Amino acid sequence: MKYAFFLGCLIPARELSYEVSVRKVLPELGIELVDMKGANCCAPFSIQSVDYASWMALAARNLCLAEEMGLDIMTLCNDCYESLLMVNTILKKNPELKDQVNEILSGVGKEFKGKVDVKNLVDVLYGDVGVSKVKSAIKEPISGLRVGTQPGCHLTKPKRIHFELLRGFNELDELVQATGAESVPYERKEMCCGGPLRDINDDLSRQVSREKLIALKNAEVQAVVTVCPFCFLQLDLGQLEVKRHFNEEYNLPVTHFIELLRMGMGMKLEDWEVKAHRIPITSIFKDRL
Amino acid sequence: MSELDLGFMGEVANTPRGRGILLCIQCGRCSSSCPVARLTSEHNPRRLMEMIILGVKKEVLPTQLPWYCLSCFTCLDRCPQGGDVGEVMFAIRNLAVRQGNLPAGVAAQAKSLYETTRVINPVRSTLEKRESLGLSKITTDGLEEVQKILKKTGMEKIVQSR
Repeated sequence: MKYAFFLGCLIPARELSYEVSVRKVLPELGIELVDMKGANCCAPFSIQSVDYASWMALAARNLCLAEEMGLDIMTLCNDCYESLLMVNTILKKNPELKDQVNEILSGVGKEFKGKVDVKNLVDVLYGDVGVSKVKSAIKEPISGLRVGTQPGCHLTKPKRIHFELLRGFNELDELVQATGAESVPYERKEMCCGGPLRDINDDLSRQVSREKLIALKNAEVQAVVTVCPFCFLQLDLGQLEVKRHFNEEYNLPVTHFIELLRMGMGMKLEDWEVKAHRIPITSIFKDRL
Repeated sequence: MSELDLGFMGEVANTPRGRGILLCIQCGRCSSSCPVARLTSEHNPRRLMEMIILGVKKEVLPTQLPWYCLSCFTCLDRCPQGGDVGEVMFAIRNLAVRQGNLPAGVAAQAKSLYETTRVINPVRSTLEKRESLGLSKITTDGLEEVQKILKKTGMEKIVQSR
């Protein structure tokens, strides 16, 4: 399988360790990624809050680039994913709106045709690669590790969009189990990480994260596994902020799922990648690093 | 009693993401499922929907009220009416922005997008790290098209007025 790789803004700017692991692991599993030249920001919730037509047109421009490449899109970030998925879904169903958006895009020589689909990393690993192939790629199982997963809101909500894609809430857990780790249920799993209020209302943003951290700690997990870069930032760096403001320490290591998979496949993380985690992961992954 | 604008609900309902306001029955399930409402009494989605329905426009649009929502979409799944409260939040934020009410963090992202095609950009050391790892170059290849689009939609004016 081959995908137009939509990298977004946050990952190439702040989470190179996520990007590097994806670029290393996916080809091993038969997935080819082609970078999207000239792509713009997905138009995330912050931009959608400013202006509706701009959201539609900016997201549609990215979809047009993928159509020109003749490839479906794969995203890593939940915010990118939801933005592109919603616009793709809405425009495919609404010819009148499609015409209005195409009128805006005609000024830059683009036309949205509705020829591609939008997927995220979990879709690709679960749907294209499949749990059994992931399992057979595991050479050094992550046995005995109790993990709390954080799929993030926009992989599953709103359900009326995601249900049509036959995606529930357990794909990430199944993938985690395939690596040999144990996915432990916890209260507030469906709850937001608090990330969307970062830089808008930092105090509330931290309080939401704290609720999540308390629930994870109560479930006695040893690590948190994320797919969304915002969830990662919020739960990893966020623990330092919670410590500063509430004087509470959770010491929960957070990893991107792809890093867990990579370690399970027997590929060691490099020193700089280990250090990209604010909460040290050395104690739980020891000789895998 | 504050000054009412009885057209407020219609104004919200006539924006692309605001239609759901017409379905609100004030049951309060949005408030009971909202992670922010649990933490602060400042944010109460049911009450906010009520304020729109009643037309208390001046106590909504120029205030903090549109900016507490996480857009986690829990309320979209739970509203028994399919009233899309979390979508209505976008409608009122779009209207608030037109009155100049947008948080500095959002304005900064909009400006960055208009100037660079991205809401967040790598710092110099990250660019160097990318190069040393052989990762793809971060370019502004789409900039001319992005700016043309945002001029046409009017967002350029919002960005420049800040």
